[in-house]
Amino acid sequence: MESDSHMDDDEAITRSLDGDLTAYEALVARYSALAHRTAAMLGAADEAEDVVQEAFVKAYRALASFRRGSPFRPWLLRIVANETHNLTRSRGRRNGLTARLGAVADPVAPDDPEGAAVAGDRRARLLEAVRALPDGERDAVVCRYFLQLTEAETAEVLGRPVGTVKSSTHRGLARLREEVGGELA
Amino acid sequence: MNSREPHDDDRDNVGGVDNVGDSGDSGDSGDLLGRGDVGGFGDLEAELFALGDALDVPAPPPADVAAAVRARLSATPASPVTRPLKRAHRRGRRWAVVAAVVLAVAALTAATPQGRAAVAQILRYAGIELRLGGAPTPTSPGAPTPTALPGERAVTLAQARALVRFPVRTPAALGAPDVVTVADGGRVVSMLWPGGLRLDQFDGTISPYLWKQLGPPFPEEVHAAGLDALWIGGAHPLGYIKREDGTSVPLRQAAPTLIWESGGVGHRLEGAGGKDRATRIAASLH
Repeated sequence: MESDSHMDDDEAITRSLDGDLTAYEALVARYSALAHRTAAMLGAADEAEDVVQEAFVKAYRALASFRRGSPFRPWLLRIVANETHNLTRSRGRRNGLTARLGAVADPVAPDDPEGAAVAGDRRARLLEAVRALPDGERDAVVCRYFLQLTEAETAEVLGRPVGTVKSSTHRGLARLREEVGGELA
Repeated sequence: MNSREPHDDDRDNVGGVDNVGDSGDSGDSGDLLGRGDVGGFGDLEAELFALGDALDVPAPPPADVAAAVRARLSATPASPVTRPLKRAHRRGRRWAVVAAVVLAVAALTAATPQGRAAVAQILRYAGIELRLGGAPTPTSPGAPTPTALPGERAVTLAQARALVRFPVRTPAALGAPDVVTVADGGRVVSMLWPGGLRLDQFDGTISPYLWKQLGPPFPEEVHAAGLDALWIGGAHPLGYIKREDGTSVPLRQAAPTLIWESGGVGHRLEGAGGKDRATRIAASLH
């Protein structure tokens, strides 16, 4: 596997298309964490692992339709997002954002428990506010800030025009500011 | 809106979502964290990035995910473009499994009476490689301290069902298992009950996965309650076969075990006591 981890995406895809499962395994390992993060944050809850496996299997089968030379990451994450939406639709409900803030070691100020508590509280409120956003705005905010995707990538992942992503993000930010206020802790 | 004075100028930007050049606000709309600013929400954006970094999303080790995906892809067509062949291919595989089982049983029968112990012979049955002959089993040196299967971890029954690609069944003759584990990227589900009773179910459509070193008493065919199985009445070394290179890795000394194949799924039931009880439990799977 040592040499496989040095393959770039394009080479891994070429080899995968030739049926080289080891090359595809390298690609899966490379994007596994991001795929899980995406599924969990778009609402897959504790079924993120299923969603991700299914998405990687589907991506492999659809690899021939991948446009060579374009970035693999948003193409893959779109499949993850679609799988997540299929799941939430079949389940009849959406869990929204299922990340936990609990296990976080807050780097803010270990020497200042009071200040850390205030900052932690603000973070928790902000997370709650993101959770409470309307679906479209939340998805856009999650993709842009929690997954750190560009606007173009977000548009591809969510299957929406870039303009819609921009306006959803902006409306979401405005709503968040209303909810948690503008002050920095 | 709850915002204080310095942010009021953000209101001017509410309609303008392009962050390039349309922001007339005073100063901080710059390239925060190098990620740009949406209409003067720079501080909020920075907070969101930080919040995102602080969010904890549990995920299995990437290598496990890769192995699980690979296992699923290996069980179906090899090439990304051969999709239409899937159904026929799987049916062919099923027949291959049936043929292999028939051959194994035939070989077992043919290898009967005396002299058998001297012949080292390998039978492949229900995803298990039986290595017949050689040393008498109970005191074999190949039994190390018990080792877990690769990637074995405890899960709930519901999670197990979601993690493997074959239908997971439970024996009606026993209560709910104490522990359920999934191992090797979703290839094996194991259920454990008190007293060393253990049921393993594994994808039997792929090459042998477990091996057993067997001397006398040799496996005995069991045909009962709609079951075609093999009963291994003695304790014996058990191990698994590494997918990567076929290496045999010893796991532990196993108690008497019933093994069988059903619907493409290999089964082994260990620690049930005698053959009859094992058969009864096996027949109660649903």
